[in-house]
Amino acid sequence: MGAFETSIEATISRWFGIDPPNDPGRRLAAELAGTIEAFEALRGTLVFEDEPSSFEAALQATKEAV
Amino acid sequence: MAGLADLSLVQAADAVASGEATSLDLLHACWANLDAVNPQVNAVIWQEREAAEIAARAADAAVRDKQPLGLLHGVPTAHKDMYYQAGKLSTCGSALRKDYRPTVTATVIERLSAAGAFTFAGLNMAEFAQNPTGHNKTFGNCHNPWNLPYITGGSSSGSGASVAARFNYMALGSDTGGSIRLPASACGVTGLKPTQTRVSRFGVMPLSFSHDNVGPLARTARDCARVLTVIAGHDSRDPTSSREPVPSYEAAMNDDLRGLRIGVPTNVFLDGADEPVIAAIEAALQVLVARGATVNRFDLPLMDAVAAYGGIVSRAEAAPIHAEWMRSDPQAYGAHISGRMYPGYAIPAAYYIEALSRRGPVLKAFAAEVFSKVDVLVTPTIRTCLPTLDATDIDHGPPGTEHRFMAVSANTRPFNYLGLPAISVPCGFDSNGCPIGLQIAGRPFGEGRILQVAGAYQTDTDWHKARPPILETAA
Repeated sequence: MGAFETSIEATISRWFGIDPPNDPGRRLAAELAGTIEAFEALRGTLVFEDEPSSFEAALQATKEAV
Repeated sequence: MAGLADLSLVQAADAVASGEATSLDLLHACWANLDAVNPQVNAVIWQEREAAEIAARAADAAVRDKQPLGLLHGVPTAHKDMYYQAGKLSTCGSALRKDYRPTVTATVIERLSAAGAFTFAGLNMAEFAQNPTGHNKTFGNCHNPWNLPYITGGSSSGSGASVAARFNYMALGSDTGGSIRLPASACGVTGLKPTQTRVSRFGVMPLSFSHDNVGPLARTARDCARVLTVIAGHDSRDPTSSREPVPSYEAAMNDDLRGLRIGVPTNVFLDGADEPVIAAIEAALQVLVARGATVNRFDLPLMDAVAAYGGIVSRAEAAPIHAEWMRSDPQAYGAHISGRMYPGYAIPAAYYIEALSRRGPVLKAFAAEVFSKVDVLVTPTIRTCLPTLDATDIDHGPPGTEHRFMAVSANTRPFNYLGLPAISVPCGFDSNGCPIGLQIAGRPFGEGRILQVAGAYQTDTDWHKARPPILETAA
């Protein structure tokens, strides 16, 4: 097991008291590296917003015209 | 042989209201199919027959007495076993809740009841609504009535299979990443995921409260329109439910698609798609074009952001709900359930907040670019031919099975993060005799538009009328 997987398991154990339940859990936890890469790829693509964004407001702003 | 159980929901309700059929006859017609086929399909996991017959007789008495009748008067239904009814079993598909009897009744169940429908069974589902296939460790896998070794789609597996096998006229499903649309597609029925906030979730088992949706699986788009008219609208017990007015979705349905602009994504949604699926979608597009629609093919924007942020939200929200059981009894879950939840505990809060806070801006940017060009998007609901239960069995399969498993919901998940309404309608069969689904997505609160398109498609095609061969064999 690599350093990344070890750190993930240690984090979950320390913060939640939960151990890896099975091999699929270990494999999918290792794939969090891909999740981090996906977030890294988005850096700089969406700008800072001064106002709290509201998903509900966005639904209204983009809704089907009656 | 076709019979009363083959009626659509709307036809069944109208038949009861007009006196052409009794509610009790409908119920017994459904039960005949259930008794013949459920031992193989495993869509129904508990029943309350005595109470259902009492409800059916009361409905028939109301017709005879010329009392005011609701839109769903006398229609037998059964729902995914996570819609709470006070005092009744609600297993959520899990050993951890095999004896759970809630103290509240879901708002949607109350609204269906107020419209005259009644419930006679609890339907199989993925454990805690957490898989796209229909595997279930506790109650047994749900099997596709079209071809038993194949997946039903999930997580509303019993909802799709029971409607396809004519056990009922409509079933509620829930959709957090495709769980209404996937079983609708795999089982050859029609399933509608409404706009986020359109339908109350009070009294419904939570999975990911930002992505969870309630909606119907039924035979036709018109059936879904009638159900949505009944269940949509604000609910003071679910403060997240929208105050947007609820139209009569059924009244707005017509077959005139002149001027409709259809968008077909050229990125993501067809990646690795199987040829029979592509052919079925292209044939469906021709049907819509023949009614006056035009087709515009282009890359959808922001798909990387939608995938990254959506995955974070779903996993981060599911994890804490299950933390106590994941500590105390993790082996009570199927390996594919606990295994998929486990990484959610490592997601930083700042990632989760970022994913949530970007949701509105991403939707606005997506809508500005996409809906300036087109009115609806059309994609396959599932981009590959259906896999078997064995090929997607993470619990007993080799490493890598999880990727085949997750590929099933690749085309449905984006619309949950975006919060858009989407419907799946049957549009063909693959070489294994398994159904193929056409997904139609629209703007927020554009259910009327996608129902209209789906309804027009079903006017010109018969895929939604096909009966699983198992019904003939069993008869």
